[in-house]
Amino acid sequence: MAQRVVKPKTNLGPGFWPVTALIAVVSAVMVYLVETSPLPIGLIQAGAPADSIDALFRFLGAIAAVILNIVVIYTIYFGIVFARPKGAPANTIGVQIHDAPVLEFWWTAIPTILVVILSIYSVKIWADLQNSKGDVLTVEAIGYQFGFQFRYPKVKGVLNEMHLPLNTPTTIHVTSRDVIHGFWIPELRMKADMVPGLINTIRVTPTVPGTYHIICSEFCGVAHSVMRTDVVIESQQDFAKWFSRQGGGTGSGGGGSGAGIAIDQGKADVGQKLFGQKCSACHSVGPFDQKQVGPGLGKIFNDPAHLKLVDGDAPTPQNVAKIIHDGFQGDIGVMPSAQVNQLSNPDIANLVAYLASLSKK
Amino acid sequence: MAVSVAVHGHGPDDHGGHDDDIIYQETRDMRLMGFVLFLVSDVVLFSSYIFAYIYLRNSIQPTWPPIVDGHQLPRLDTAFAAFNSVVLFGSGVTMHFALESWKHANKPRFNTFMWLTIFLGLGFLGGQGYEYAHAQIGGWSGNIFGASFFTLTGMHGIHVFLGVCFLFALWIQTQRGVYTEHRFFGLTAGTLYWHFVDVIWVVLFFLFYLW
Amino acid sequence: MATVAPGVPTGPYHAVLDHIHPEPTSFIRKYIFSIDAKVIGMQYFITGAIFFVIAGLLAEIIRTQLLSPHGAILSAATYNSVYSMHGSAMVWFVVIPLLTGAFGNFVMPMQIGARDVAFPWLNLVAFWLFPVAGVILFSSFLVGAPDAGWTEYPPISLQGPLGTNLWCIAVFLIGISSTMTGINFMVTIYKMRAPGMTFTRMPLFVWGQFATTPLLFIATTALGAALAALFIERVFGVPFYDPKRGGSPVLWQHMFWFYSHPAVYIMIIPGFGIISEVLPTFARKPIFGYKMIAFSSVAISLLSFSVWAHHMFTSGMVPWLQLPFMIITMVIAIPTGVKIFSWMATLWGGSINWKTPALYATGFLITFTYGGLTGFFLAAVPADYHEHGTYFVVAHFHYVLYGGSIMSMFAGIYYWWPKMTGRMYNEKLGQLQFWLTFIGFNATFTPMHWLGLLGMPRRVATYDPQFQFWNQFASISSYVMALGTVLFFYILFDSLRNGKKAGPNPWGARTLEWMVSSPPPYYNFKKIPAVLAAPYDFGNPLPYLGLDAAPGATEATPTSASHPVPTY
Ligand code: HEA
Ligand code: HEA
Ligand code: HEC
Ligand code: CUA
Ligand SMILES: [Cu+2]
Repeated sequence: MAQRVVKPKTNLGPGFWPVTALIAVVSAVMVYLVETSPLPIGLIQAGAPADSIDALFRFLGAIAAVILNIVVIYTIYFGIVFARPKGAPANTIGVQIHDAPVLEFWWTAIPTILVVILSIYSVKIWADLQNSKGDVLTVEAIGYQFGFQFRYPKVKGVLNEMHLPLNTPTTIHVTSRDVIHGFWIPELRMKADMVPGLINTIRVTPTVPGTYHIICSEFCGVAHSVMRTDVVIESQQDFAKWFSRQGGGTGSGGGGSGAGIAIDQGKADVGQKLFGQKCSACHSVGPFDQKQVGPGLGKIFNDPAHLKLVDGDAPTPQNVAKIIHDGFQGDIGVMPSAQVNQLSNPDIANLVAYLASLSKK
Repeated sequence: MAVSVAVHGHGPDDHGGHDDDIIYQETRDMRLMGFVLFLVSDVVLFSSYIFAYIYLRNSIQPTWPPIVDGHQLPRLDTAFAAFNSVVLFGSGVTMHFALESWKHANKPRFNTFMWLTIFLGLGFLGGQGYEYAHAQIGGWSGNIFGASFFTLTGMHGIHVFLGVCFLFALWIQTQRGVYTEHRFFGLTAGTLYWHFVDVIWVVLFFLFYLW
Repeated sequence: MATVAPGVPTGPYHAVLDHIHPEPTSFIRKYIFSIDAKVIGMQYFITGAIFFVIAGLLAEIIRTQLLSPHGAILSAATYNSVYSMHGSAMVWFVVIPLLTGAFGNFVMPMQIGARDVAFPWLNLVAFWLFPVAGVILFSSFLVGAPDAGWTEYPPISLQGPLGTNLWCIAVFLIGISSTMTGINFMVTIYKMRAPGMTFTRMPLFVWGQFATTPLLFIATTALGAALAALFIERVFGVPFYDPKRGGSPVLWQHMFWFYSHPAVYIMIIPGFGIISEVLPTFARKPIFGYKMIAFSSVAISLLSFSVWAHHMFTSGMVPWLQLPFMIITMVIAIPTGVKIFSWMATLWGGSINWKTPALYATGFLITFTYGGLTGFFLAAVPADYHEHGTYFVVAHFHYVLYGGSIMSMFAGIYYWWPKMTGRMYNEKLGQLQFWLTFIGFNATFTPMHWLGLLGMPRRVATYDPQFQFWNQFASISSYVMALGTVLFFYILFDSLRNGKKAGPNPWGARTLEWMVSSPPPYYNFKKIPAVLAAPYDFGNPLPYLGLDAAPGATEATPTSASHPVPTY
């Protein structure tokens, strides 16, 4: 197309190779520093998944450092050596080169390869975080304006402090009672939004004892800045002591006052009618997180996002019957008792049968 | 409207017949493109709410319509809506014939079909009003069913209403002699718009009455 | 009639455009309700500059507040409104209207050899929505400004003060304005290029605008839908987002980010265009890899529709869905990298004339790459679990928004200022202004990366005392930026009063807007030129035929006449 294309000079410019060598050296040093610094971001690594996330972070950091070196150093260097010399006429033109397919191929291909590597690596770590490692402990964290509450299995009611035992794979279900909050433990590099009506799950395995902040990381109103609490990570013995002080382990693991209800005699179709009259004002038959006043009950026996009932018990028919019978007051709200709802024991059995039939679907 | 919108300052009288033709074609093509792009962005508007509807609906599976105050809401009246849809689709057909008649310079036939279209459009709106009055789904602000149903169909209804106004304005233009047998961009746009409103209704009908 | 040049076929449309109408004479039709794209562009510039000063002052209030861990000047409630308004104003009332409305209207029609945009009246309406919406936005301070961030996540935004309703209206209106501009520009670029300006001969700024248009008229509509729903939920209680009534807060996030991710590319692709004009002009070299730069803009634009959920990695969605979003987000780095490297190669072997626009374009290369790379850290899902909602994110997006969008706009303003006003600015002061801004900017936002990683969440009015040092450092550096901004406005006013006459083409650039006098005449071109090649062959004669040569422009001889016919 053009008539006077000046062929690029074979030499790449004064000092091109030394500068390239400089980039290589600087990059190597930076990669070394990034990859070997024990605490890459100056923050305690208090357990999994902080270790793998930091590893990913270091890897990203190393690649980013190299790319940044290339861009910054070459740009400055080109800027200096190819500046128009003082006194050169204003219409001096540069090398008239339009493209260089080989070069362009490589600077598309190499980032592509890097993207592939990085996504594979990220996916691997991601998959690792999703898998439960035979979780031993399941804790629920509930955010509200402006604080956190926690619910432990077999502990009645909610607690205002969080303790986690060392080296114990723990699943934390987070949700909120009002607006969106965030549940963030920087030392574990883990966070999830606490969304009302939705349950998010994170998995951690603390390994370093200490007291760390739980920080609200999602804007939630005037006191967002100060919405935080502590999590105490302690040895399993200390945790057990604390746990029994909270009444953990002594909670009824079934039976209770719901006993005596002939669960197996319930009829689902009768239960369905009853449910429409008495329960559906507060409960949907969707999954747990589809809350109206109370939680959704459609999958109460097999909700993967909500393995325990609201009172911390396992979702057996007996325990469900117990809640319907006794009522329950938790942080979601007040569930009236059978007396209030005017339900007889056979009614309860029918309701449980109906709920069970829903869960099967 | 004069053709001078696109290249302002260049009215049809500035130039002789030939130049004028070229300018007409060029501006018509530009406006057609602009109008189609406008319809594309309108499609996105509907798609957003359709996405919202599907999202909300899926979030409370398996009950739909939702249970409110202990009662599952009734389904909408499919039979009536089907009838009403036929009215709307019929107006699409008549609009097609209206445009064809115009192209063939058959003015009386054009007038008939144009008015048929307008009346069918109004009929559809009437049917929609009837349905709004009889839908027992808790009103616009009662629950997510009402919210998505009234928002989407209401938005569609507004489009139909504006379409009717548009067609009426076009009819007046034809009476005032703005369009000729060869120059009728407004009618093309009106027809496009009207078919667009029809197609959206197909989707809405499926989502609310058949699904 | 057709007087372009003998032997060059002309498009039918342009053949009849010899006739030029007189310019309107009344003040109102000339400067207020003008339908001339250049005047509208200048109106966008002035309005946008006013909003930039306001939003920038809000930023300085933010930084002043954060001088002390306990919050130096404001209550938490006021602080929340301040940063919400800062973010909203910067995004919707500064960067988007300036990059599309202002630069697009002033430069693009001239660069394609047209006299105006396709729909001048639509353009007029689109502009006037902008100041109106801006006034509505800022008047929300009178009734309680929105306080839930520029993202206004429900349910907290459902509780927000009355001003949140005004915010909805204002952003809705500016969205309509964007949509109009998008449609208008797409038709203009597609249909109104000068004869011979094929797609591969379009200046890259035009390519940038062209790649942005689908984002403007497709994504913005989705935002309109989301805003309308938020508004009717707040005002009429119609449940969409409130979980207590069966709605879903995550629904808003999907709808919002379906717009707002493409929006971040609305804020950068035209900037890429500016850089692609400035670098070749000052390096006196053809742009390196023209086709790749043009194509990558389109690729980024299309890809940007399918990455929105990377803002929602912690919000709660089906977990496996995170992966496609992560991967597509990362893929965007490839076309972006192609651009960066091509620009570096454009500098290579140049005869670089280090004027202020060139400095800004080069500064852009460095800071935008930095910001893009931190975007990459955020895209990796596991890393984002730690970084989301912290100052790391704040640092990332200021690097791309200030270091990208605003720096490219500085480059563009210095570059086209002589064209707009006919006067040169003070070069020494311009360079000083660059260094103040560049250093101040980096010093302000670099520390925020580690603040975030160490545990400082964003949107906080108070913070832990251990973060004080770097916060103060950032705040004080931000005053240096403010000084740079004041100096910037001084330079412009000074140029208006004392600037040397610029002449039509002070930089020796080759795109069409430089072929007419400065400021350009009402109709841009007396005769529509024919275009024979892309505008970057610095060694060659100008590739235009039939130009009513402006003083100083050299008459061209064809270098190639193989495809001089436009493609419509
Ligand atoms: C294009 C977009 C853009 C731009 C340019 C900026 C520019 C700046 N931003 Fe902004 N910012 C956002 C977009 C932008 N920001 C967004 C979207 C958010 C998120 C909000 C949210 O969380 O919802 C945010 C949030 C945000 C925060 C986080 C608040 C928080 O989370 O608590 C901070 C904190 O430091 C900050 C600081 C700054 C600073 C110091 C500048 C500086 O660069 C400003 C520089 C400008 C000036 C200094 C102009 C000053 C003017 C004068 C001095 C007057 C001159 C007058 C005359 C000549 C008459 N911004
Ligand atoms: C101009 C605006 C702009 C631009 C261009 C970008 C560009 C990018 N952004 Fe950014 N982003 C924002 C504005 C922008 N962003 C804003 C405003 C927010 C916050 C909103 C809020 O919450 O308030 C945000 C938030 C944000 C998040 C969400 C963070 C969170 O809240 O958790 C993520 C996550 O993926 C992200 C990623 C990216 C990526 C991968 C790019 C890529 O496009 C960058 C690509 C560029 C490069 C990578 C550099 C050059 C490339 C090379 C030199 C090639 C080689 C490189 C590699 C192989 C890595 N951004
Ligand atoms: C006044 C509203 C209300 C009514 C009526 C009501 N519930 Fe509940 N229910 C609640 C609330 C609130 C909770 C959650 C308590 C908490 O955890 O704070 C709940 C919890 C439950 C649970 C435990 C759910 C879980 O996942 O652990 C069951 C089971 C239940 N209700 C069944 C019923 C049945 C059956 C009926 C009808 C007879 C009924 N409820 C009527 C409000 C109600
Ligand atoms: Cu709770 Cu922020
Ligand atoms: Cu994004």
